[in-house]
Amino acid sequence: MKARVIRAYIAKELIELVRSRFILMVYLLPTMIMLLFGYGIRMEVTDARALIIDNDRSFLSNRLISKFEHSRYFDVSLDTSDEADALRSIKQARTDVIIIIPESFEKRLLHGQSTQIGIYVDAAFPSRGSTIENYAKGVILDAAASLAPARSAHLITINQRSLFNQAMRDEDAIVPGLIGLVLLVAPAILSALLIVKEKERGTIFNFYASPLSKGEFLIAKLIPAFLLHSLNIFILFLWAVYVFDVPFRGSFLLYWGVSEIYLLISIAIGMLISVVTRTQIVAVVLTVIITIIPGFLYSGIIMPISSMSGISQVEAHIFPVMYYNHILYDAFLIGEGLQSGKTLSYLLILIVYAVILLGLGRLLLKKELG
Amino acid sequence: MEYLSVENVTVSYGIHVAIRDATFRADGGEIIGFIGADGSGKSSLMHAIAGVGNFSGSVRFNGIGYRSAKEAEPLKPLCAFMPQGIGLVLYEMLSVEEHLDFFADIRAIKPDSDFLAYRQRLLRMAGLDKFTARRAGDLTGGMMQKLSLICTLLHRPRLLILDEPTTGVDPLSRIELWEILDQIRREEGTIILVSTAYMQEAARMDRLLLFDAGEIIASGTATELLETVRPMCYLPTPGSGGVRTFDATYSLQPLDIPHAEPTLEALFFVNALKNNRLLPPVTLSGEEKIPFSDDVVMEARGLTKRFGDFVANDRIDLNLRRGEILGLLGANGAGKTTFIKMLLGLHPIDGGELFLLGKPVRNAHDRRTLKASIGYVSQHFALYGDMTVRENLLYFAAIRRIPSQEALEKTARYALELGFSEYLDEMPSQLPLGINQRFSLAAALLHDPHVLFLDEPTSGVDAIARAQFWQLLIALKEKWKIAILITTHYMSEAEYCDRIVLLRDGAKVADDTLERFYAAHPDAETFEDIFLEYYR
Repeated sequence: MKARVIRAYIAKELIELVRSRFILMVYLLPTMIMLLFGYGIRMEVTDARALIIDNDRSFLSNRLISKFEHSRYFDVSLDTSDEADALRSIKQARTDVIIIIPESFEKRLLHGQSTQIGIYVDAAFPSRGSTIENYAKGVILDAAASLAPARSAHLITINQRSLFNQAMRDEDAIVPGLIGLVLLVAPAILSALLIVKEKERGTIFNFYASPLSKGEFLIAKLIPAFLLHSLNIFILFLWAVYVFDVPFRGSFLLYWGVSEIYLLISIAIGMLISVVTRTQIVAVVLTVIITIIPGFLYSGIIMPISSMSGISQVEAHIFPVMYYNHILYDAFLIGEGLQSGKTLSYLLILIVYAVILLGLGRLLLKKELG
Repeated sequence: MEYLSVENVTVSYGIHVAIRDATFRADGGEIIGFIGADGSGKSSLMHAIAGVGNFSGSVRFNGIGYRSAKEAEPLKPLCAFMPQGIGLVLYEMLSVEEHLDFFADIRAIKPDSDFLAYRQRLLRMAGLDKFTARRAGDLTGGMMQKLSLICTLLHRPRLLILDEPTTGVDPLSRIELWEILDQIRREEGTIILVSTAYMQEAARMDRLLLFDAGEIIASGTATELLETVRPMCYLPTPGSGGVRTFDATYSLQPLDIPHAEPTLEALFFVNALKNNRLLPPVTLSGEEKIPFSDDVVMEARGLTKRFGDFVANDRIDLNLRRGEILGLLGANGAGKTTFIKMLLGLHPIDGGELFLLGKPVRNAHDRRTLKASIGYVSQHFALYGDMTVRENLLYFAAIRRIPSQEALEKTARYALELGFSEYLDEMPSQLPLGINQRFSLAAALLHDPHVLFLDEPTSGVDAIARAQFWQLLIALKEKWKIAILITTHYMSEAEYCDRIVLLRDGAKVADDTLERFYAAHPDAETFEDIFLEYYR
């Protein structure tokens, strides 16, 4: 290993990054993704526009309506028109949910007879639809408990507690996943560019024609990307904890350590891309496609891996983002750390990933014209 | 004694064989010249010897033998390689000094006083000692090549491989590059392999290898090679048969006309004749452009262009007459391209006035008229590689709003007269450069321009294609009476121009006819000598 050669390359890369102002991109891109997605993705539903048709107009039906009115999840408007009109308003996207209270609602309840409340939900977005449906059910169940003093209602109560994300905040669920996305995309782009840039310009001949070994060249190229993005590990942490108010319950050392390993994986992906591409533009597009899609899909932001099935389960296990994000969510929300066997095994898997990808890059990199 | 021995080296890309069974030997202190047309295998052989490309066969340099790029690793500390293309190995963002540091570092050179003195000497030889803080991206082409060369020389290589280091470089920088090479070879005993497109340079080499279609077809000193073609060279005589250029007629069959002194260009022509590979002849039909009264087609009065504090063109006067070829010459960075861009209406004019056919060009409307009467061929022919020649021409006709019937007729006629009709339905990338040149010219002529601007149209094109291109330009001038403004780095081409304007540091330093230039410099043998007078 020639330390001087490596130092010379690193100094050169840094000078070029600063003078070409690419350095701004190194620090702006991660923050941009964080802010855009962090504020942009909202899973929870508040103020769903509910249209209630009260065919009973009784004391109890009024009580039920007021329960809806008091819920922060619903923005209620009352309608006396017929169902057809109500359905039209859902079609025209003026209403998210229609709740229909049948005639003799109060009478049947007082007589202990069962009754049916109609709920029509706009399920064009399935997850939003089912969320609204659940909220509506919850309000009705809650109301049933207080409305009907009779037998049934008191027998079952739900004692629900949300663990790890008690406040059910979107930020808590999304922001750690975003770190997994950003640290997969940004370092890969940088490391791919550092090598492909030389191929495109022709300066790669300096490496081809010099006694520099492939390993030395790779180390010289990857260290700048690694060091520069290591700072992003901290920057992203600060965004998460101080801007998005995500709690941090685990060990910072673990977070830092596993993030550095993950960084190695990311820059190794970039390096592999630089082996097969010849121009910077192709390298960037390919890197973005290869990293963003799995980085987002299997990050656990949209849905947890455990609820995937079949091929998507397999795919999720192929991409490293799942393993990293598991440790990440643990560090932020749970704090079990290495005490959990799963975290430990995932950490080992990530290390194996890094070693394999870096080795593969070293193997595939050519020191002659293709 | 050091030596390089190359045996049966073959380089192929898929089914295409770039160079087959190349064999030669070179000794310490020798400069071996690689000459040949584009795509004849020079670069591929250089890549193989430098160990940057794969090959079969074997190469031996002193005690180091290798049969593949991988085995060539032990050679690399002793070897230096400069690929083809200006400033290809330089980093735009790094300064001259940072380059020297970087190359010294990656070659692990001990920074002792010996090295520092050598480094300073190289800098002075390259004339870069005053520009150590300047970034490579801000250097002129000539300076870039000199910097690339001294960067490759830093570790005192024993084997130096240079792939067309002087292509696109002005004569002054070329001479300086050669002086560096000469000195290094004498003092260090380095083996130097160098390819070139400038035949005058070939005379400076100890031995020449002549490449053709992937084979080395001849080798020897320049004089030895010239002797082999002497019988086929005749004085230029019209109507005598054979192939005629400006200074010679070549024929394989004996002709009944006097012989001429062979030049290195003759090597190419004779070889092309032997292999029946000459481009189809050009047969322009006569006068057909609408004549206009004023003889001066275009006139620039005191044209000035500034970039910030830097004056790229300083009050340049120039007029272009109907039916003349005007050569615009100058070193890299003298302001030729900026000037042409102003004439084209691509750069706003910062001072002075421009007249087209006697009318001043002032507003956007005038500039549109200006563009409509100029044909322009850029340095890199702006052709679309994914369309056939015919499609390209029809496309250019369409953007010039030429009715399709007329466009079809013109395409067919130009193809016939400019000698590329058999290539009309092929892709430009599969055609010889000479044919691409012709049809770029046709594309620039479709809208019947009064003036034709050519920005280094012959850079990197081989001798035959160049000679034929000039024949075509002269035919255009004589038959169609088009005014042609051309920039070039080949001083030998200046001899074909009617009038020459020399630019230096953004200002015009000379403007005269060729005859009067020679009359004013009676000692000069070639135009290159005259050019250098103005630059020294």
